This record gives sequence, C-alpha cells and structure tokens, in this order.
Amino acid sequence: MIFIALRYLLERKRQTFLTLLGVFFGTMAYVGVSGFFVGFQGFMVQQLVNNAAQVHIEARKDYLTEHMLDVPFFGQGFLHHFWTSPPARVEGFQEVQSPAGWYRRLAADPRVAAYVPQLAAPALFTLGKNSVGTTITGCDPKSQAKVTTIADYMIAGKFTDIAVGGNRIVMGDELMKRLGAALNQTVMATVGVNPTAVPFKVVGRFYSGSRGLDLQAFASIQDIQRTNLTPNQVNEIGVRLKDYQEADVMAQTWAMSSPERVESWADQNANILSVFRIQMALRYSMIVTVLIVAGFGIYNILNMTVNQKRQDIAILRALGYDAFDVIMLFFSQGMIVGVLGGAFGLLCGYLLCSYLQSIPFMPATPSNPQGHLHIALTFEIFAQAALMAILSAAFASILPARAASKLSPIDIIRIGG
Amino acid sequence: MSIVADKLGKQFGSPPTRILADITLSIPDGDFVSLTGRSGAGKSSLLYVLSSLDDPTEGRVMIEDTDIARMGSKQLHALRNRTIGFVFQFHYLIAELTVLENVLVPALKVHEEVSRRSRAEGLIARFGLAEKMHRYPRQLSGGEMQRVAIARAMIMQPKYLFADEPTGSLDTVNAESVMEILSECNEKEKTTVIMVTHDPDFAKMAKRQIRMADGRVIGDDLNKN
Repeated sequence: MIFIALRYLLERKRQTFLTLLGVFFGTMAYVGVSGFFVGFQGFMVQQLVNNAAQVHIEARKDYLTEHMLDVPFFGQGFLHHFWTSPPARVEGFQEVQSPAGWYRRLAADPRVAAYVPQLAAPALFTLGKNSVGTTITGCDPKSQAKVTTIADYMIAGKFTDIAVGGNRIVMGDELMKRLGAALNQTVMATVGVNPTAVPFKVVGRFYSGSRGLDLQAFASIQDIQRTNLTPNQVNEIGVRLKDYQEADVMAQTWAMSSPERVESWADQNANILSVFRIQMALRYSMIVTVLIVAGFGIYNILNMTVNQKRQDIAILRALGYDAFDVIMLFFSQGMIVGVLGGAFGLLCGYLLCSYLQSIPFMPATPSNPQGHLHIALTFEIFAQAALMAILSAAFASILPARAASKLSPIDIIRIGG
Repeated sequence: MSIVADKLGKQFGSPPTRILADITLSIPDGDFVSLTGRSGAGKSSLLYVLSSLDDPTEGRVMIEDTDIARMGSKQLHALRNRTIGFVFQFHYLIAELTVLENVLVPALKVHEEVSRRSRAEGLIARFGLAEKMHRYPRQLSGGEMQRVAIARAMIMQPKYLFADEPTGSLDTVNAESVMEILSECNEKEKTTVIMVTHDPDFAKMAKRQIRMADGRVIGDDLNKN
C-alpha cells in the first residue's frame, strides 16, 4: 500500500508539502525550544550546584513566633490569645555544635566528595572614603576549592594565597570596584561583633558573573575566627557530593540526626527551581499545541482524501484488498508525512540549535567565556521530538483511515461513486 | 457447476423493499451469461450478490462448491483477488497510477506485480493500448479507460468475470470494442463471463441470456449465435 500511498501524496504536492510543513515546524520548535530551556536550566543548575556547596550544614536558628508561648504562659484553657506585643526572638546557636563529629561523619561517608568548614561573618570594608558592607567567609582555601568552583573564577592572584594567613583576603570583582581597591592594597575590615577595624591585604580577585558572589570576600578561617573574636568557631560546613542529585535525600537524613540545620542546594534555591518547573510546563504546553495543530493538518487532509478517494476504496475492496489494507493506505500517508516532517524537523532543529550555540548572546563569564547560549542537544530531546511527531501523525491518521476502512464498496459502486 | 444460486433473496431498507426473490440458477465454467431486464429489475443486485460484493438476505451462493457466506475475510478477499474479475459501468481507475500500474493493482496486493508485468503488457497491447501504457487515466478516452479496466480485471487470470453494464457509458464503437474483448476473454481464456446489460444486441452476444423482472428470473435461454 506504500506504493499507492506515495502516489497519492506526490499527486497532491502542495497539500502534502503544507501538511509536512506543519509537522516540520512542530518538531523543529520542540527541539529548539526544549534545547533552549533544558540548556539554560542545565547551565543554571550547574551554576547553583558548583558556585556554592551542595549541602549546607549550618548552626540552627529557630524563630519565636506569635503563638509559640501561648500554652506555656496561659495553659490549655483558652482558644484565642492576643498579645499587645507578640513575642519575637531568634533562638539557636551561633556555631555548629560538634564540628569534629561532623568531620568524622563526612569523611566516612563514601557519597561525600569534599567538605569545608567555614566561618561566615558580616563585614564592613573601608578604603579611604568608600565603605561596603558584605559577608566575609573564612575557610580552608584548598578544601573550599574542592567544594565550590571559586578557584576557577580567579582573575588575579591565586585562591590558595590566603592559606598562609596574615590577614590576606580574596575579593570579588564587584566588591573591589565598589571599594575602589586594587590588588596588593590593604583595606580595613570590621568583622562580626569586633568593633575594631583590622587591616587585610587584597591578594586575589575573582569574577564569577554572579553579582551576589562577586560582592563577597574570602580569607583563611583562622584569620576570621581571630578577627571575629570567636576562636575555633565554625558556623557552616559546606559539602560537595559525588552525585549532586542525592543532596535532598542526604540533607533530610542528616537533619533528622543532628541539632544543625541541614539544607540542600535545591532547598536554598527553591524559588529558582519552581520557576524552572513553570518554564517546563510552558514548554510542554506550547509544544503540545503546535503538534496538535500539525496533527489537525494531517487529519484534515486525510479526511478530505478519504472523501475524494471513495471510488478508489471501492475498487480496491472489489479487487481483494481488505479493510486492513485500506487502513494502511491512509495511515501510511499520515505516517510518511509524520516521519518525513519529523526527520526534517529534527535536522533543522539540530542546525538551529547549533547556530544558536555559536552566537554570542549574553555577557561573558568565567563559566561561559564566549557568552554563548547554552543549548541542550541531548538524545532525550531528539527522541521526544521524534516520538511526538510520529504519535501526532499516528493519532491524526488513524481516525480517517478507520473511517475509510468502514466504507462499504457496494454502496459506493451502487451510487456510481 | 461453478456458480450456484440457491433460492436467493434480498431485501433492504425500512420498511423492507424486496429487490431479489427466490432466484435459483447455476452457471457452469466457461459460460457467457447476460443478465437483462428493465431498470430496477434486480440485474445489478443479482450480479453483486453472485460476485460476493453483496450479501443475500435469503438463500446462498456457492462458488466452487463453497458457500461464500461461510468464507472468512481472508478467504473471501483472496477469492476476489485471484478468482474473480470486476468491470463496472464506471472504470474506477486510480487517477494517480499509469495504465500499466492500474492494470497491476490486483497483483500488487499479492506482491506479484513483477511476475505479472509481462501479462499486463500483453493485455494492454491486445486491447490496443500499447502506446498508452505509461499514460494516466486522464489522458485516455472513455473507451480506452474501460479497456484498461477490463485488462485490470483479467490480470490475475480470473475464472469469473463480472461485468455490470460495461458498455453503459460508451459510444457504439467503443461499446462494440469492449464486447469483443469480453467475448475474446470468454473464448480464448475460457473465463466465465456474467454481464449485466440493457442492450439487447450485446445481450445476444452472450451464450446465455437470463431475463429478470421485479427481482425474479423470468427467462433463462440459450442464445443462438
């Protein structure tokens, strides 16, 4: 039946071309839009996963809310409590309670790739008349470089230069700009609760492309503990996992058996991830709409063909072709259009994505020095696009094909077509 | 006996309209039968029932000693493909296929288009269309298209050829040409031909004439050719 189906399609070149165009655009749009969304999200996730620790173990802080003290103060006898001045307080610890216990636990866990104890504190940097408030993180630079990609973002100096101590710091590009600081210059820093400004020498500069990170500074943990007047204190442990997708499960497990607050990178970026989910929903709904339109194109053309070819159906049935042959005659036309349109769509989708990948589109960053768009060209996207093209063609073809197979040849012949 | 009709009857519609009633006849192999009668006499209906295209509501049709009502779909379609040829008043050629391809459509069903190609070319040449073998139906005259339809009906060397007013839409010259071809098929290939016609002259070209009126056989005579 393929032979006759092909002849039908070739005889109606314009209709066939337009129908094929519908599938073609649908498939190409799927590859292009999916490649863009998935690529962008993949890039963003990599940034989120690599720029910061994948699991954060922090000193727990609990917040006292309005009705938490109702029962302790007034007992069970009242349904409603009204405070003229509701209780409000932050309860918790300033530091991780048992850092050594955590180190043993993390070192023994085969899923952990690296970890870094940190002491992060608010800091006010001053240089001349310029003052900038930010966060300074004390860390072991070698461990920090294993947990995050901060060392890769260095544009001047080395991240490990802070290891020797002596109040050396590495500053983000944005922070240095705002301070008007230069490399090897000394800036004054007021760290944490210590009211005394302490001099720090800028030994490195990093640029990540993320303004939040580029406003921060890093120094050796011993320097920050001393400056902050909190010797040996650690208020966060950053953990990098061998598989970042295990972060949620591990964070939940660890949180259940420790007094610390343990959060995964996904917990900390829940808003961004929910935006991704909305993007994905939009992507699917848009593509499904396009493919439904393409499917309707096939359905309409085949329906019309079935009506036009009633005499052919009658004579084929009289010549020994059965209902299945008639189904195949029309179904194969839809499938040929679906497969060809889909194949051209995949090819052009690939070319489109390759082109988009090659043009500069956004400001250059260390992780994307050319500023190219991140487009995903994965097997899954192409397989999904091909499957959707074929499925939409199949659904659109089967109804007219079944209708054609149910036509009674004798009725058509009796009325002369 | 190759085709036997046993107390055939057919009615359809609501309220039921009887179009065939109590028809019993037998058509031996090699016969050339014309079915005649006025419009509405039931000629075409009888032809469709005898040829398996339509089902009787009463009685049965036996082809080669097999009741066609008891045949499975596969067997019935094989019978239509290999044992029976059809020619209708309208040619029913597929517009997108050439003359040769149209003739080979029945062979295509059983993947014999290659082995039957020389026979198709031979039939087309025999029917005077050798030079038009690769033309499309729209490039042919009405008579030529009907000859292609007969070639298509004969491609599988069927034992039975059912023709429903094959000359109905043709001029006299083309109609005579078609009748000669049908006679030739009957004589040379020993094909049993059952033909519906209004034309008394063409009816006389058959070996046997069955006359119908009001869905019944009212006469069954041998022609003196």
